[in-house]
Amino acid sequence: MNENELKLLWQSAHTKLEDSLQVNRKNTEDITKLKVQNFLSSMKPIKIFTLIVGILWVAILGSTVVHLFIHAYDQVSLYFLCAAAIQVVLTAIAVVVYIYQLNLIYNVDFSKPVLNIQENLSKLKVSTLNITRILFLQLPVWTIFYWNDSMFENGNLFLWIIQVSITLTMSYWAIWLFFNIKFENRDQKWFKLIFSGKEWQPMLQSMELLSQIEGYQGAENENTRH
Amino acid sequence: MVFGIMTSGTALSQKFHQILEQHKGILFKVARTYCQNEADRQDLLQEMMIQIWKSLHRYNDNFAITTWMYRIALNVAISFYRKNTHQQNARLPLTDEMMHIQEEASSEKQDQLNLLEQFISEFNDLDKALVLLYLEDKSHAEIAEIMGLSVTNIGTKLGRIKEKLKKRFLLINS
Repeated sequence: MNENELKLLWQSAHTKLEDSLQVNRKNTEDITKLKVQNFLSSMKPIKIFTLIVGILWVAILGSTVVHLFIHAYDQVSLYFLCAAAIQVVLTAIAVVVYIYQLNLIYNVDFSKPVLNIQENLSKLKVSTLNITRILFLQLPVWTIFYWNDSMFENGNLFLWIIQVSITLTMSYWAIWLFFNIKFENRDQKWFKLIFSGKEWQPMLQSMELLSQIEGYQGAENENTRH
Repeated sequence: MVFGIMTSGTALSQKFHQILEQHKGILFKVARTYCQNEADRQDLLQEMMIQIWKSLHRYNDNFAITTWMYRIALNVAISFYRKNTHQQNARLPLTDEMMHIQEEASSEKQDQLNLLEQFISEFNDLDKALVLLYLEDKSHAEIAEIMGLSVTNIGTKLGRIKEKLKKRFLLINS
């Protein structure tokens, strides 16, 4: 089938369809009554739930930590206070970055050129990785919050070797993941293992689209050079 | 001049209906290219219409309305296509299909069209957009404006896509 035959086939079939297409007036009228959707109402329930849990966690744990710092500083383990404070700060940063990214995604102007919009949208979705990187930094904090003075006074060498090994290992992995979780490593086995769940699919699909866009832009640059 | 500055709510609403009526084919063809499943396609059409309504006040009539509509329809389709459509929320309850065909004409060309649609479905998201615009007989300049690429790049990409399509049809015929 040659070029003209292809176009003729497509156009003749769709012209017939187009003539018989009917737009449902009732539904389009409903759309014109839509107030511009606010950010929250356009979000999926699971995202709203995640945000609420994150905000509540930061609010409750944050106020508890502040309260303990002010009123019971000498009665509470300093390790617990520091671990909790670091955890709250990192979660708060992740929540703020998450809200900022979602807001940008939901306010995209779809009438801009396809490649620009898809690139921006995909980059925004892929930048969800930054939140994961921040959250992984919490790993070592979970291994020190239960430390206390009596562990130093009464603990034996064997327990300390185990404890310090765990904390150092977690610190190593937290830092390693912080620097290595990035788009460029998307084909690595460990990356695929971490991001294998269904909830990561939109982000992985955005990565795939970004690769396609890179292919297009590569050709664009080649053409410019020639 | 930006359309929204001079238009009241009712006029905007009338313009919306008028645009949809005149260019419904664009939305339908894009939806059909990206969505094989009828229920998903109705959701996609609704999403396109919502985005058109949301963007209408920003429409600058120095640009061709078809370019503007293709951009919205393709951007929504590519974004929508990658979502799990069964997890959508914030939808209007559909009283009926957003758009429907009164009587789907059956012809001997239907099989070939199905075949063409099947081949198109094998392309990646961006190539699908290109092949659709090419079959719609858009000029390279128009396609470049819709896609945000240079005319030369469009020519190169289309050349490869046409070659692929040709090979697929040859394979089937042989």
